[in-house]
Amino acid sequence: MNRKLGSRWLLAGVVALAIAATACGSSGTNPSTSKGSITVAGFNFPESSILAEIYAQALEHDGYTVTRKLRLGTREVIGPAIKSGQIDLYPGYAATDLEFYNSGAGEASGDVNATVQKLNTRLQPLGLEALNPSAAVDQNAFAVTKATQQKYNLTKLSDLAPIGNQLVLGAGPECPTRPFCKPGLEKTYGIHFKDFKALDTDGPATRAAFANGTIQVGLVFSSDSDLNKLNLVVLQDDKHLENADNVVPIIRQKVASDEVKNVLNKISATLTTEQLVSLNGQVELNHQDADAVAKAYLQQHNYFS
Amino acid sequence: MTRRVFLDGVDPWVNWSWLSSHVPTVLADLEQHVVLTVIAVIGGLVIALPLGVAAYRWTGLRLPTLGTFGVFYTIPSLALFALLVPYTGISGVTAEIALIGYNVLILLRNVIVGLDEVPNDVLDAADGMGYRPLARLLRVELPLALPAIIAGVRVATVSTIGIVTIAWVIGLGGLGELILQGYIESFHTPLVVGSALCVALALTADLGLAVVKRLAVPWARPA
Amino acid sequence: MDFLHRVFIWLADPAHWHGSDGIPTRLGEHLHLSLEAVAIGALIALPIGITLGHYGRFGNLAISVSNLGRALPSYGILVTAFQILGLGDAPIILALTALAIPPMVTNSYVGLREVNPDLKDAARGMGYRELAQVLRIELPLAVPLIMAGIRTSAVQVVATATLAAAIAGGGLGRYIIDGFAQQDYVKLFAGAVLVGVLALVTEGSLSLVERLLVPRGIRLQKARPASRATAFKTA
Repeated sequence: MNRKLGSRWLLAGVVALAIAATACGSSGTNPSTSKGSITVAGFNFPESSILAEIYAQALEHDGYTVTRKLRLGTREVIGPAIKSGQIDLYPGYAATDLEFYNSGAGEASGDVNATVQKLNTRLQPLGLEALNPSAAVDQNAFAVTKATQQKYNLTKLSDLAPIGNQLVLGAGPECPTRPFCKPGLEKTYGIHFKDFKALDTDGPATRAAFANGTIQVGLVFSSDSDLNKLNLVVLQDDKHLENADNVVPIIRQKVASDEVKNVLNKISATLTTEQLVSLNGQVELNHQDADAVAKAYLQQHNYFS
Repeated sequence: MTRRVFLDGVDPWVNWSWLSSHVPTVLADLEQHVVLTVIAVIGGLVIALPLGVAAYRWTGLRLPTLGTFGVFYTIPSLALFALLVPYTGISGVTAEIALIGYNVLILLRNVIVGLDEVPNDVLDAADGMGYRPLARLLRVELPLALPAIIAGVRVATVSTIGIVTIAWVIGLGGLGELILQGYIESFHTPLVVGSALCVALALTADLGLAVVKRLAVPWARPA
Repeated sequence: MDFLHRVFIWLADPAHWHGSDGIPTRLGEHLHLSLEAVAIGALIALPIGITLGHYGRFGNLAISVSNLGRALPSYGILVTAFQILGLGDAPIILALTALAIPPMVTNSYVGLREVNPDLKDAARGMGYRELAQVLRIELPLAVPLIMAGIRTSAVQVVATATLAAAIAGGGLGRYIIDGFAQQDYVKLFAGAVLVGVLALVTEGSLSLVERLLVPRGIRLQKARPASRATAFKTA
């Protein structure tokens, strides 16, 4: 046989193999034994991965096929994604989600039930639903280093108003557009910072920025477990800018069957802030993985028995 | 300057027990990475081959095609993935539009150069032997352009493997998802595993394609 | 077209031209990161490539190391540098330098290898000593390929520097990352346009430098074949 021809067949064979590999690789799970498919997403910080994993594993245990999209991004990415049906469920936070879906109208309050009710009126026309809120709360919190606290004698956020123009604020890039973040600090507290540094949502960059003095005030989460270790002190929210940010699953109505809702509500009912802080600690301090931590939590609460 | 304040003493660069308990996750990310790459390179070829042949024949097409895809090429992948989201969502389609688009430029250039470099004597001989244009293209010109085309496929493949990691911004980063996890959780192991596998994948693909070239074009001098 | 119109308005808005998030500031940051990376990379890569190319030794090693360099995922290197060195410019420049080195090593090696051996013999015969031979004969002949390598590196670095924003760095990538986080697609697109323009300007100006550096005699000869380091996208 013509050697040149043989080589070209070989080339064609390799290409065909590659295409076949692609096709085989895309085959998913067996649909006939599962109750349905649900895609669970999480924000790009560890606590959200933990919560998403807890809900995901509970659904899996109940017989659903779950696809995870952890660390997908900020609410600005996840919101459009769930609206367009590319994800089905994410662990939200009542007040912040309300202010996202009402375009910053300022409807959230400290009353979690009222907040969730208003949230549902906003979600309904989008084909979405907020389930029962949990007792676990994670709010925006603004922290300073112990050194800064001592230097200016700070205990509460109001103390920042007179010295704001000497300080740099650090938070995720979405902060300047979020009502509970920079705009809220300006409006409610009258704090106008010298500068704003776009870092990450309570992530490694924010912590690094505290340590090397790039920022003096930074956004952290009230359920963080490592603030003490990092010499950070949270300033008291004396004018109640932050509201009821209870953990609440946001789900697409299309997949929100009664059974699914039961599974998720059962989880939310037993979750507390203390437990959340503890779970965060296992990931942030002990470097355990979110899925392992979630599994241990579910086992501890006899969920799998 | 911040140094080991954030790196736990208990955090080695590779935590083998984490790795052994996360093999399925790592393999799933690897699979996603490979699938995205393969589709991107094949897609690039599917577009670049006919387009390249046309631009080789009708030189007037060269500027518009190379120009258009050249401009596309200058758009940073981070921006392109993000810009496509409102239109095609956080899906494989978004990723592939960008990846295939970048590959078309690389492959187009190589197809054109490869065809250009076919010596005129050979073309004359083929004509003299009675080859009609299509037959000449398929049996003389393209095979002789194969070394350049495969060289382009190598560059496109290695380049794509690197860019796929950036698709974490739409949740499809393959091995890049491991790197993202390493960053967010200040955890070395997924970062190292993701990066190392990426390098290994790229080197394997590059080597594999070099072998393919040697088998497909045994007459080509080593380049 | 309304969208493009809004992008144009964004770019023309004077408010976006001053302050710590203004275009000059971000452009300055981007250039600072890129220039340092390419300069340091060149200081490392060129001597290595030129020496190896001149002596013709360890060529395969040079090419292999370069291949390895190409295989490194840019996002992975950036995060690794961040985890070692923390926040700031240093880790970003380190990572970008690592990416800048391979094309320059490859091209300078190949450039020196491709110098006609007869010319080298003639030079030796005329009494040129090693260093003089390199500097006055081989380097000028290798300039086109070396410059092509520097150009490839520079464009690559400019594009990859956009990723710095993903680890809280500065530069034009900030418009892309912030725009995406804030769902401000006008800012995002404007950032992409600025980076694209910067990449094209980099390519163009370095081509100009090459034209000025290539000895007239070489330039008048038949055009050289395409450079070895084909355009390679890392970000």
